[in-house]
Amino acid sequence: MTDQKQRITEAEAIEQAKQGHEPAFEILYNLHKRRVYSLCLRMVSNPAQAEDLAQEAFLQLFRKIGTFRGESAFSTWLHRMTVNVVLMQLRKKGLPVVSLEETLEADDESPRKEFGTKDLKLTGSIDRLQLQRAIDKLPPGYRTVFVLHDVEGFEHNEIAEMVGCSIGNSKSQLHKARLKLRDFLKFMRAEKAKTG
Amino acid sequence: MTCSDVQQLLPELLDGAPDAAFQAAFDSHVETCPDCAGLVSDLKLITSQAHDLAETDEPPTRVWVNIAAQLRAEGLIREEETAPGPVLVPSSPRRRWSAWWLAPVAAALLAAGSYVVSHKSAQPIAQNVPPPQPVQSAPMQSAPVESAKTDIPTPSSTSVVASSRVAEQGPQEVATKSGHSASAPPRVVSAPSSKEDQQFLSMVSTLAPSSRATYENQLQVVNADIQETQAYVDQNPGDADARQHLMDAYQQKALLYQIAMDRIQ
Repeated sequence: MTDQKQRITEAEAIEQAKQGHEPAFEILYNLHKRRVYSLCLRMVSNPAQAEDLAQEAFLQLFRKIGTFRGESAFSTWLHRMTVNVVLMQLRKKGLPVVSLEETLEADDESPRKEFGTKDLKLTGSIDRLQLQRAIDKLPPGYRTVFVLHDVEGFEHNEIAEMVGCSIGNSKSQLHKARLKLRDFLKFMRAEKAKTG
Repeated sequence: MTCSDVQQLLPELLDGAPDAAFQAAFDSHVETCPDCAGLVSDLKLITSQAHDLAETDEPPTRVWVNIAAQLRAEGLIREEETAPGPVLVPSSPRRRWSAWWLAPVAAALLAAGSYVVSHKSAQPIAQNVPPPQPVQSAPMQSAPVESAKTDIPTPSSTSVVASSRVAEQGPQEVATKSGHSASAPPRVVSAPSSKEDQQFLSMVSTLAPSSRATYENQLQVVNADIQETQAYVDQNPGDADARQHLMDAYQQKALLYQIAMDRIQ
């Protein structure tokens, strides 16, 4: 079964899924499940919610698969749909899709650099788990832009359109998100050095 | 160029295509300013590592099981393709009765998973614990359809006994029966097979080929997940996240059994 599935191309699977063939749906799911689930997980930082969102994204995709004409890449279509599902959920929950600068500045939870302390650099590589944890600590608005740009590779104009902000705002939030991540990572590294 | 200028213009440097003059001024400043050099180096590192997170996580098996069930419910999966004829809703009293074993097995999976997970942290690393019902071993994919017809289990004779056996025995006894060596944890990803799995496969073999294949595949995936996670827990008995993941895997397997039962009955 697996060998047969692997021989089918994505385009063939799409056509078969349009005809209602279950194996074709499964092939498409298996091709994209990691990317979709990871995207959801990064954006909401909650595995249970990420499962629900990934499920909803695939269901929306499969419901609309009959309208897919192949003008864009299937993966692009799916990823944009996933982002929209996640953003819709964030809006429903009242979480800011775009960060409010004033709120964030007032409610800044990032660790502050203390004068006189040694400024540790993030030399070498960053532990993947630490980076994930640092992303999870970002305020939702910053996290959204960072994940969409630096993890998923969307351009600022695409992010601005999806999120509903200006391109300048997207750039600004990305930069602040990176700076905040750097602070978090340095703080984690310092804590680890203390305890280790 | 000052440090403040660098802070302001850094996004352009990282994401855009700065012109040569800007780049030269920037490089000149960074050469003499360790703080700015560190900042630039760190942000480049974060940016490059972030992209590696794009496909790191595997969704649990239940996500696809739920999607497939929903597609089926909405009629997006053509039933004639997946389950021709009356096989989809069996009317045979024998078949209906024979699926009863799945319910206690699903419950037993959760109980056994909980047992293994909660007791694992107290076990020495050398005591490898396989999944809870590997009383006998057989290649999973060779699930014989014939056995479904001749050896359909009853709730009292197989599953309940198996459940209580696992719950009563504890990890070491199960490990001994399975024949796994304590010093050689199983590294093979292929799914372990138990009597209950064989029975599960026999039951789903009555479904249409594509549905049966889906169930077989999902069982293999979840068994492999249990086995891999178990091996990891054996190596890292103090890892709470891993133990939780193992419990989740057992829950997924129980859910898979439950869904199959709902479908077959």
